[in-house]
Amino acid sequence: MYIYDEIDQQLVEQRVAQFKDQTARFLTGKLSEEEFRVLRLQNGLYIQRHAPMLRVAIPYGMLVSKQLRMLAYVARRWDKGYGHFSTRQNMQFNWPRLEDVPEILAKLATVQMHAIQTSGNCIRNTTTDHFAGLAPDEIINPLVWCEIIRQWSMLHPEFAFLPRKFKIAVSGALTDRAAVGVHDIGLQAVEVDGVLGFRVWVGGGLGRTPIVGKLIKPFVAWSDLLTYLQATLRVYNLHGRRDNKYKARIKILVKDLTPEVFGQQVDEQWQLIKDGPDKVSEEYVNEVSSRFVWPKYDTSLIENDDSIILQAAGNLKFERWLRTNVHDHKVTGYASVTVSLKATGVPPGDIKADQMEAIADISEKYGFGELRVSHEQNLILADVRRQSLYSLWLELDILKLATPNIGYITNIIACPGGDYCSLANAVSIPVAAAIQERFDDLDFVYEIGELDLNLSGCINSCGHHHVGHIGILGVDKAGEEWYQITIGGRQNGGVNIDTNQTQIRGGGAAIGRVIGPSFAREQIPDVIYRLIQTYLRLRDSDAERFIDVVERLGIGRFKEDVYSDPILLKAPLNTEVIDV
Amino acid sequence: MSNRPRLIRHGALEDDLWRLHDTTLTTLPPDEAYWMVTLDCWKVNQDSMSQRIHSVAILVPAHADSKDFLPIGVSSINALAIAFIAIDFPNYTDGRGFSLAQILRTQLGWLGELRAVGDVLIDTIHYLARCGFDSFLVKEGHDPELALQSFETFTVHYQKSYLKPVKINS
Repeated sequence: MYIYDEIDQQLVEQRVAQFKDQTARFLTGKLSEEEFRVLRLQNGLYIQRHAPMLRVAIPYGMLVSKQLRMLAYVARRWDKGYGHFSTRQNMQFNWPRLEDVPEILAKLATVQMHAIQTSGNCIRNTTTDHFAGLAPDEIINPLVWCEIIRQWSMLHPEFAFLPRKFKIAVSGALTDRAAVGVHDIGLQAVEVDGVLGFRVWVGGGLGRTPIVGKLIKPFVAWSDLLTYLQATLRVYNLHGRRDNKYKARIKILVKDLTPEVFGQQVDEQWQLIKDGPDKVSEEYVNEVSSRFVWPKYDTSLIENDDSIILQAAGNLKFERWLRTNVHDHKVTGYASVTVSLKATGVPPGDIKADQMEAIADISEKYGFGELRVSHEQNLILADVRRQSLYSLWLELDILKLATPNIGYITNIIACPGGDYCSLANAVSIPVAAAIQERFDDLDFVYEIGELDLNLSGCINSCGHHHVGHIGILGVDKAGEEWYQITIGGRQNGGVNIDTNQTQIRGGGAAIGRVIGPSFAREQIPDVIYRLIQTYLRLRDSDAERFIDVVERLGIGRFKEDVYSDPILLKAPLNTEVIDV
Repeated sequence: MSNRPRLIRHGALEDDLWRLHDTTLTTLPPDEAYWMVTLDCWKVNQDSMSQRIHSVAILVPAHADSKDFLPIGVSSINALAIAFIAIDFPNYTDGRGFSLAQILRTQLGWLGELRAVGDVLIDTIHYLARCGFDSFLVKEGHDPELALQSFETFTVHYQKSYLKPVKINS
């Protein structure tokens, strides 16, 4: 964990004081509703369907046990005993009272947490790989670079009122698990001639106009990172559209100018500031790095899974969990473990206060008290000794946190949807539950193989449906809920970062394609089932994944099968492709 | 309430005596104190306005291009003829003025007074000051005394290339 110095702590506390004052002025009529709206959004506070929603940042997804306990405390005292992990390494509370928010923020500040810039048209919480600092395939440790970006972007005086929200993602590994291709800026670590730096993708994003980012700069040396970001943001701040919020994201500017011209403008601006005070020095990087408390691993461990293999023999549940929820670690003898928040029937990403506390205890007992939050809305136990995996599993299983579905169809990413969110056109949670019930046979789930199923309740795309191998989008048609299906989306292309390929860009991300007219809610599990049947018939081997088949054959066969299925034809279809 | 001075300048409140010259008129304002002209007007009449006894102020719209400040071939602004530059915030959520201010300060060599006008809130003054503004016309309905305190809202900062806000214009 990064440990705040005095300046870090003071800033967060002064922001709490500022927000307390703003809330008080609003409540006494000295700040208009319109004025307060943007100010509260910049501190993560939405006014929602039932109550305000407070979005707390978990910077770059790194969390330690005492912070998780504090989130449990907040959930119990000010919410209804649970919280929700979003798809952007944040935690959302759906039930706090506006009057209580300053106090909640003050409490969070005691454990180095805040809600700064978790909403609003500013630079949001920088996200990264959920195995950051743990993955065996890292070129750089993205945690240090994310912290450097956090400091640079927090309360940035020039970029607090951008045309639209702005999201930065960092990948430090060979495999892009941060989805750098679908962020306003995606940074992919690379080494060129012995110098570390970043490949810079700009203008990716989901939402109404899903676009994979364009490679604006093949290499920016580490020392130039912040000035290059500053130049990019300055061009966007000055020239991004402000007349139409649907055309205000940086992706539209990049498209309108063309990536080449946009890149030139950034470069011109960058040349003027690159050797200025915000150039990153080695001293600064070392200083930030030294403020992290890195785990003290036992380096005498050897890779010996004999006992685990014995324990797994005849224990199908444990064996399955080992296969799906346990991940390789950079240090011999350790593993990272995904705590699944995707049990059937539980809203994806929801977690109860009791579970938070239990996981906090477990993270200390089996590791160094460190966790990560994944954009797939699960928690990761960072450093588990492989020898202890069996007893860890026993504990997680009792807590119903050992669902062995990571990477499979029932590990659904979903936004809170119409049950909570005032933006949503349709519900998400009941649809996710219905799909999980339809695919309740784990053997069948494994037979299907790796599959990302993502679900959004509206075109804001918080459920990342565009990059799901199967994506589901809730749409509104004359006051009714309908669901549009896309296939062929992906958040990355593994290690394939060949920029010459037109389909696979931005770390290999691709946007899914709509298969046709939308469906009623109750049809969705059958539609998904149909798509899976088609895939199983068409795949050339077990190794060919759903996404690979879609890539090889296109969407045509899937489309034909779905729209000629007699079961699906029984219920009325919405015959139009709804333009969202 | 509304008659209270709401211009923050040199760390104190004072009355705002400046008036904007009507852009529909073809004549220029008389050579007397406190006239402000639009950037467009300044661009066209720069030479004659530079000869005045009483310098004019320039009002810059949020959509201005930083290249508009300089005639071709000139690398920094002719400061003597300008009383101050005011950047307009049509809405406080329109952040273009922050970048314009930075460019004026760090790239166009403007060392004179830089004023934020328009939708200037207690809550934006701190950021404005960091970007190089040194006078602020606080919007109606926002307590100017409270606005004066906002320089100290944050006493520490991360971004090295931006100023620490100071009340007193140095």
